[in-house]
Amino acid sequence: MGNPAKQPTSGSDPAAPLESPALLLAPALRGLLANFTEALIVVNADWRIIYSNPAAATLYRQTSDCLMGTIPWEHWPAAARDEIQRQHRRAVKDRTPVELQKSLGDGFKEWLELRAFCCDAGIVAYYRDITVQKKVPEIHNRLAAIVESSDDAIISKDLDGIIQSWNRGAERIFGYKANEIIGKHISTIAPPESVDEISGILRRIARGERVEHYETKRKTKDGKILTVSLTVSPVRDASGTIVGASKVARDITERKVQEEALRAANAALTRSNADLQQFAYSASHDLQEPLRMVSTYGDLLKKRFGGKLGPSGDEYIGYTIQGALRMERLLKDLRGYMQATTMGEAPAGEIDAGGVLDKALANLEAAIVESGASITRTALPRIRIHEFQLQQLFQNLIGNSIRYRSQEPPRIHISAELRGQEWLFSVQDNGIGIDTQYKEHIFGIFQRLHGAAEYPGTGMGLAICQRLIERAGGRIWVDSELGQGSTFFFTVPYRES
Amino acid sequence: MVLVEDNPADTGLVREALEEHGVEGELIVVTDGELAIQFIEDLESQPVPLPDLFIIDLNLPKRPGREVLERMRQGAKCQRVPVVVLTSSDAQRDRNDVERLGIGQYILKPSRLDDFIALGAVFKAMMGSSVE
Repeated sequence: MGNPAKQPTSGSDPAAPLESPALLLAPALRGLLANFTEALIVVNADWRIIYSNPAAATLYRQTSDCLMGTIPWEHWPAAARDEIQRQHRRAVKDRTPVELQKSLGDGFKEWLELRAFCCDAGIVAYYRDITVQKKVPEIHNRLAAIVESSDDAIISKDLDGIIQSWNRGAERIFGYKANEIIGKHISTIAPPESVDEISGILRRIARGERVEHYETKRKTKDGKILTVSLTVSPVRDASGTIVGASKVARDITERKVQEEALRAANAALTRSNADLQQFAYSASHDLQEPLRMVSTYGDLLKKRFGGKLGPSGDEYIGYTIQGALRMERLLKDLRGYMQATTMGEAPAGEIDAGGVLDKALANLEAAIVESGASITRTALPRIRIHEFQLQQLFQNLIGNSIRYRSQEPPRIHISAELRGQEWLFSVQDNGIGIDTQYKEHIFGIFQRLHGAAEYPGTGMGLAICQRLIERAGGRIWVDSELGQGSTFFFTVPYRES
Repeated sequence: MVLVEDNPADTGLVREALEEHGVEGELIVVTDGELAIQFIEDLESQPVPLPDLFIIDLNLPKRPGREVLERMRQGAKCQRVPVVVLTSSDAQRDRNDVERLGIGQYILKPSRLDDFIALGAVFKAMMGSSVE
């Protein structure tokens, strides 16, 4: 159809009217072009569109009517128009396909191949979408780059196990260069004891199954045995037939070694913790026995020989007995501390905190009466905690409030409020308070801020509290100033019942 | 009366307690678990008078007090003798063991002399209180 002799040039006949496609095309041809899937336009000598088929209207995102009389490159952005015009003209002049890019406005560009030729009706131009053809090599290159840059070994093999491709990760991990191993059987990299599993894997692949995170041993070129995690997937050809397998192998030797080391360290730590607990348990029990001898026989000495050893003698026996009794209390509290550490592992049921407070107060009855303490409280919630944990907490904290009272009779207020996902309990008193610098220190074991003569105690109460509340998933802290009273706070996780 | 106790200091305190409460009669002291089991077997097999009371420590050399108690429970004669378990162990496991055997009163060895002496009254009350 092309006729270079009659090739129109722009502006050759400015007076030429826009001819209607009806005039140009026979109905049969129009019907054919309407169903033509490629975009086709006919332009006059001025490159004004005199016919566009529906595919062209779609390509230009216009109706066919709107396209009439426009020039093709007007539909490209201003910056690209000169180049697009040049390409259109070249397509006609050189009678060769040219490639154009057309932005679709959403950042995605499609590639078009333009072919154009002259005919009696004008210039016929049609556009073929070649985006896929243009993209395939690009996608291929991108995938190839990903495969090449992977730290993992990515290997493909056919169903007989013959290696077809071998990336740099595989070179690094197994030590073979691609050119030395491609064409060899995959068992080349399996140690003797793992060779048998390869046929099993290949059978599964042939059935269309995938093998995921399979841990096994592989052998490097220099004979080193690695622990690898394999993921093997079937590879299909265009018709869907399985023709081979792609395998990703990750070297987890180091991870395995670290995991093993971690496990061993954990086991050792657990053992040493258990040993330590056993030791502390035994020590606190076994030390108790000789102490009991010291205290009872001290008593017996005093009973038999009291007053016969002179004033110093009685005094010394007194110190002996007091020392032994004090150490017994320390050991008892140490056992309490260890119990707080080890008990309460089972999930706790829901209990009424108010009822538990009543029990704690009943146990403190004597001290409350003796000190003239007044105790007030807000409504207390039902919470999930072991009863012994909460009762011990209340008892230790309120006991402290009474013990460390000022000249005033103790006024103690217990409250609870829901804060986010936890209950915040507080025990507030008007006692002697705590120097800010000791706010952390007081929760340590055997930590005391006062002499035994001034305020008796073993310095274990708050350490036990801390252990108990940590066991229950909460925290404990104090807000206090010397001479201003103290408020102990503790939290208990809120759980829907 | 039979005291199974390896610690002479505790034996001394038991004597004090008994004396203080005017308990008379012989106190036979057996100093380890093996001897205690032997003693029970002799009692069972020979025509000798039964003691009025067994006082038994749990933490004994050679065989634990629990085994002595078990042997005593099996003996047709000995199971009729009242038993006091006098121990320094407040471990729940030990209490459970004794409770499971269904014999004996569990008493923790007191740390103060007065409390220990006061036990004499308990011993006295239990002597001859036949079991079943």
